[in-house]
Amino acid sequence: MSSEDSTDDLPKHGLKGPSPEERPHPEGRRNSEGIRIDPEAEAEHEPRRAVLSALVENDPGVLSRVAGLFSRRQFNIESLTVGPTTVENHSRITMVIEEPDPGIDQAKKQLAKLKPVISVGELDDDAVRTELVLLKVEGDEPDKVHAVTEMYDGQTLDAGPKTITVQLTGDEQKIDDAIDAFRQFGIIEIARTGYTALARGNQPTVPGEKPGTADEPTKPTNTQ
Amino acid sequence: MSKQAPSSPNAASDAAEAEEDATAESETQRPVTTGSESVIRALENEGVEAAFGVQGGAIMPIYDALYHSDIRHVTMAHEQGAAHAADAFSVVRNEPGVCLATSGPGATNLVTGIADANMDSDGLLALTGQVPVDMVGSDAFQETDTTGVTAPITKHNYFASDADTVGDTVGEALALAGEGRPGPTLVDLPKDVSLDDTDVDPGPAEPPETTRPQYVADEEDVAEAAAAIEAAERPLLLFGGGVIKADATDEARAFAHEYDIPVVTTMPGIGSFPEDDDLCLSWAGMHGTGYANMAITHTDLLIAVGTRFDDRLTGGVDTFAPEAEVVHIDIDPAEISKNVHADYPLVGDAGIVIGQVDDAMDAAPDADEWREQCRTWKDEYPMDYATPDDEPLKPQFVVEILDEATDDDTIVTSGVGQHQMWAAQYWEFTEPRTWVSSHGLGTMGYGLPAAIGARIAADDEQDVVCVDGDGSFLMTIQELSVAVREELDITVAVLNNEYIGMVRQWQDAFFEGRRMAAEYNWCPEFDKLAEAFGARGWRVDDYDEVADAVEEAVDYDGPSVIDFHIDPAENVYPMVPSGGANGKFALTEDQL
Repeated sequence: MSSEDSTDDLPKHGLKGPSPEERPHPEGRRNSEGIRIDPEAEAEHEPRRAVLSALVENDPGVLSRVAGLFSRRQFNIESLTVGPTTVENHSRITMVIEEPDPGIDQAKKQLAKLKPVISVGELDDDAVRTELVLLKVEGDEPDKVHAVTEMYDGQTLDAGPKTITVQLTGDEQKIDDAIDAFRQFGIIEIARTGYTALARGNQPTVPGEKPGTADEPTKPTNTQ
Repeated sequence: MSKQAPSSPNAASDAAEAEEDATAESETQRPVTTGSESVIRALENEGVEAAFGVQGGAIMPIYDALYHSDIRHVTMAHEQGAAHAADAFSVVRNEPGVCLATSGPGATNLVTGIADANMDSDGLLALTGQVPVDMVGSDAFQETDTTGVTAPITKHNYFASDADTVGDTVGEALALAGEGRPGPTLVDLPKDVSLDDTDVDPGPAEPPETTRPQYVADEEDVAEAAAAIEAAERPLLLFGGGVIKADATDEARAFAHEYDIPVVTTMPGIGSFPEDDDLCLSWAGMHGTGYANMAITHTDLLIAVGTRFDDRLTGGVDTFAPEAEVVHIDIDPAEISKNVHADYPLVGDAGIVIGQVDDAMDAAPDADEWREQCRTWKDEYPMDYATPDDEPLKPQFVVEILDEATDDDTIVTSGVGQHQMWAAQYWEFTEPRTWVSSHGLGTMGYGLPAAIGARIAADDEQDVVCVDGDGSFLMTIQELSVAVREELDITVAVLNNEYIGMVRQWQDAFFEGRRMAAEYNWCPEFDKLAEAFGARGWRVDDYDEVADAVEEAVDYDGPSVIDFHIDPAENVYPMVPSGGANGKFALTEDQL
């Protein structure tokens, strides 16, 4: 392509052609999520909270693979819980993330790509969800602590001369309220689990999920 | 993207044939007696012909099992080279390449190559030695948490803990590497597992059940996409590396021709569509052609196949194909709407889905004006450079002479930087799997080990040329010893400007010319260095020496190096500044 006889009109370094200002430029634009937008009415997706449930194989390191995925792709994760199911070698991971819709969609798809992940679902707003908290408070006023514990349907797990430890379960709002109520006694230590959740009624929590009592374990949903 | 576990339909390599006479056992397979023999048997069962690696303590049992195998092992100078060579092997063969390394530093030296394969979706199986199971976690000699280190850069990795299952694990990892969207996998092999007794012959390799891709797109989605293509006024096909990996170049080319739709490619998609075709606008992105970037900017329907919309392609997403609806065909659902929203998402195998769309199309889009416009852009923004007498040799000229001196099926590898861009711009590619480069990770030093892997993978008649930069060449130059030892016919063309040239270009454009740590005061004489390694070497300074040196080097049956001293002031254009609009590419520095 070197045209040695017509190099006069070529710049010594660079190429010829209309400069950027001389070119037509379309007015359309995309937003930060790559969605085409009307320049008149630019709209970004607002972040929302989503509860994701993943049925996983109990491979070594599955939790670190999931946690690493969320960290390296900058998904904003609020909580993550994990525990075994009734199916041998299957566990359930429940995650709460706060992302705009495209981010939630991306998180689900990236999770599904992990080899130990069998199936991923997002729970509806009406899903059954709960959190557990352990609270260790000063033991000076055992009667009052007992009363507040009862008010929040909690249980006393340990009561000694110096400290009382109670357990509470419920949704996030209830736990937050309860913690506020216990502040008066002096909270020494606190441990919260974050949400764990299941779909309400007859619907499966993750697509294709079979009851743990069924003979067949859940098959991966991405299998064609 | 083989639809089933990879196999090797090709005849065994020369080396393997030669081995066969010597090794009577290869006719009737030796029984498996150890974990390491089970590992090698798993590779043999899947038709693995070659492996690239470096010996070391914890991997010694695996190498001992290779002693009796027909698999051709290439001992590399450094584990990074092993990973790159295996990566290039996989690009050329379209089946996973295999690399081996010992524990600790061996494994960590592989990391760059594994990350590179991960970014470019190249099938790669890495086998790493590990300290014995009961020493794991004790900070033993040459211990590294290899599965921990490589988890973020592999499709999946495995820690083998049982000699009876290790063969099947290796088979699964190999199958997974090549399945769907290819990528790297790794099996960490503790020394005791490799040494342990087992008589288990691994079964047929099966990828894990949880990773099976979707090959066929939803028919309703296909119908909608087909209708959009028919209705488009300015349709544009964008072929990515996925077209090549899916072995779908025939389908992709036929589709473009049948509906007369202009084509741009991504850099990894180079070769998916012939660059000498009238419909081809070459590749788009940061240093893509002006006409490709104009077409991307003005299309009203972008039909993207097997691409992940990397930022070097899109520039600023806000101005990427801003008026286009997007049809996105990809086998990885997570790539759909990841960076650029897909109006018509089609998840599936590129070849199959292109066939589905073709079946659903009733008419070609009415795009005469658009095609004419694309042709006009080709004339307006020619890839035409000056070769003034008062300036040193231009690198573009060297690339063009190399291209002219070699056949169309010549495999070109490269490092990363200015030379890579000139090679991609001025070499006219017509065949898939002839452009072998480091795209996503941008790994300087990829070129030479990649040329070694490509040489082992290629047909004997194919030429292999590595277009390298002086900076990139210096990063993995030790692999020249491998090319000499293995008597590999490769030609390294170093475009030597005694700079980390791309950094120097950016410093001049964006850092007011402060050339910090990009300017060499001294560079070795690569021609003499080549001779010291036992290769042939030439130095070229002038235009009239280029053709002869190229002819001699390409003709020489062995590794050769030409040190082209090029114009150090030459820059790569067009250029879309990072995050800029593709349509505002600069043609000269003052336009940046």
